[in-house]
Amino acid sequence: MNAMTENKGSTLVAKPDQVVIPPTVAMKGEDVSVFYGAKQALFGVNLEIERNRVTSLIGPSGCGKSTFLRSLNRMNDTIDICRVTGRITLDGEDIYDKNLDVVELRARVGMVFQKPNPFPKSIFENVAYGPKIHGMVSTKAETEEIVVSSLRKAGLFEEVKDRLNEPGTGLSGGQQQRLCIARAIATKPEVLLMDEPCSALDPIATAIIEELIDELRENFTIVIVTHSMQQAARVSQKTAFFHLGKLIEEGVTEDIFTNPVNKQTQDYIMGRIG
Amino acid sequence: MTDATLPTQVQTAAINRARLRNKRNAADFRLRAYGITAISIAVGLLGILLFTLVLGGYSAFVQTHIRVDFPISAEYVDPADPAEGNWRAVVSDGVGALLPSDSPAQARQIAQILTNNTQFFVRNAVVADPSVIGGTLTLDIPAADIFDQLNKGNIDRNTPEANRRVTDQQIEWFDSLQEQGRVSTPFNWGLFFNADSRFPELAGLSGAITGSFYALLVCFLISFPVGIAAATYLEEFAPKNRWTDLIEVNINNLAAVPSIVFGLLGLAVFLQIFGLPRSAPLVGGLVLALMTLPTIIIVTRNALKAVPPSIREAAYGMGASPQQVILHHVLPLSLPGILTGTIIGLAQALGETAPLLLIGMNAFITSPPGGVLEASTALPTQIYIWADSPERGFVSRTSAGILVLMGFLLLMNAVAIFLRQRLERRW
Repeated sequence: MNAMTENKGSTLVAKPDQVVIPPTVAMKGEDVSVFYGAKQALFGVNLEIERNRVTSLIGPSGCGKSTFLRSLNRMNDTIDICRVTGRITLDGEDIYDKNLDVVELRARVGMVFQKPNPFPKSIFENVAYGPKIHGMVSTKAETEEIVVSSLRKAGLFEEVKDRLNEPGTGLSGGQQQRLCIARAIATKPEVLLMDEPCSALDPIATAIIEELIDELRENFTIVIVTHSMQQAARVSQKTAFFHLGKLIEEGVTEDIFTNPVNKQTQDYIMGRIG
Repeated sequence: MTDATLPTQVQTAAINRARLRNKRNAADFRLRAYGITAISIAVGLLGILLFTLVLGGYSAFVQTHIRVDFPISAEYVDPADPAEGNWRAVVSDGVGALLPSDSPAQARQIAQILTNNTQFFVRNAVVADPSVIGGTLTLDIPAADIFDQLNKGNIDRNTPEANRRVTDQQIEWFDSLQEQGRVSTPFNWGLFFNADSRFPELAGLSGAITGSFYALLVCFLISFPVGIAAATYLEEFAPKNRWTDLIEVNINNLAAVPSIVFGLLGLAVFLQIFGLPRSAPLVGGLVLALMTLPTIIIVTRNALKAVPPSIREAAYGMGASPQQVILHHVLPLSLPGILTGTIIGLAQALGETAPLLLIGMNAFITSPPGGVLEASTALPTQIYIWADSPERGFVSRTSAGILVLMGFLLLMNAVAIFLRQRLERRW
């Protein structure tokens, strides 16, 4: 995290609240419904993901928040029986358009999973993989540069700089998850999707990642699915509450937590359902 | 336990618990005993098998040789063209000097102490070194089978002469040669470097080993790539529908088809329709490939299934294409399993006899094949041929052949274990 300051110069690292950026829409879901075979998992969701902000998706298990997240970079495509209707756009482009290449989409919309899943390769290779397959680097020096800068942004470089050639699977859980974040941001995506990134981690590792998320939103638009309402309150500027496949309420995080409009939202936040 | 001060219910409960515990422990003990018995039976049977094989086969690993001094006179052998010499005369000169004989008939009998092909041994030695012409050439010549057996103690001298394969006269000659210090029993390199022969003392496995090698090579080159491609498609790309289910069921059934059926298929298709040469390792390899293919497909699919889905998800999430996911991540991770399965499949193919019999790889062929299209035997079929031969020398050679085959199987399994550990230890 110190590395970050060095890189950017101290003037740019202002508190997020003090920077006034007019929110522009990075991704937009319009009337999104998702079906697994005959079962409908998501019912006509309309949601805007604002640029350079953290949007958190909350709700009880099975409410469709992960399904919505996975439809944002078409990870649902890998499930044979899954079908998506409605429209999801990235910078105004329909991502389910026939002419859109899913490989390119996933380079632009990166993803971090619930369980840290580094490749069983070296730390270096883990981070270098994305830039390599997307043809972003051609020389060894370029690869090294991108690996180092990604690891720095993920706040992992200082801890692993002496063992870049050791297996990524040898790191601790929290380090592995930060390695996965470094791997995801190495392709310089516009949007970063995080599916309960801290659920497999201890509180200290969780705190480090939350801090990291806050720093990352300077450069990336982040959507995070979380089970922890405290986490949603801590890291996000916008919160969307899902229940039984429907988007119940969305808005500025502070408002959702202090003054929810909907009764169900209120119940969930008070711990009465979920 | 039975403290009188305790209430009755507590006592009863304690007794019940003790009874249950004893029952449980006895059941545990029985289960363990069954396991140990089963393993003992398996190990015992294997021990008996190996013991009988070694007992029957060890004598084939040495071969009785007789040292003979052959005078190579320029009268019989032309130094300009040594290959065309009168080798029969050279041999009878050498044999004549070994033991005194009364008649030409007796001299011929003495000559039969040596193997039938003695003249070729002498010729090859002289052609290799023509400088001995005019001098004397001393060679250790393999003894004929009955004298080999006599030397190894497989012929009982106390049996009446009429029931014995060697006459008293022959025993006397042999003993005389032994007194002269001409008899030796060195390691039988011929077992590995000679091809098959009518004479047990000359018969070896080199033709069979070469044939098996070529057949396995063909089998590997076909079944490995085809098997992996088929398994990868079925596991990673194929839609799950009635057709792929049907294909899967058929592959599993194919693995259980008796091998002789594959032999018939090879005979009907490769020999009759395609007109490929009979007894050729190419055809043997093709038939073995058909047999090994289902095994490789099944192990490859299992190895692919064993790759954690999180790795696939991570790669797809990075924007890797299906081809990149498979080639960069899934296949490398499943390679140890695939290789192990392949080698075990090939080891099975190495020991397979029935299909090779049907395509004629049990022919009598006295030279190793020079390529996959030349007629050849294979290790298991060579064992089959030898087991069928009447000469005493082939009895021990059959066991020795089986030991060699098992040695190769052991080697292949060791390679499988080595590769698996080596590749898996990377991370």
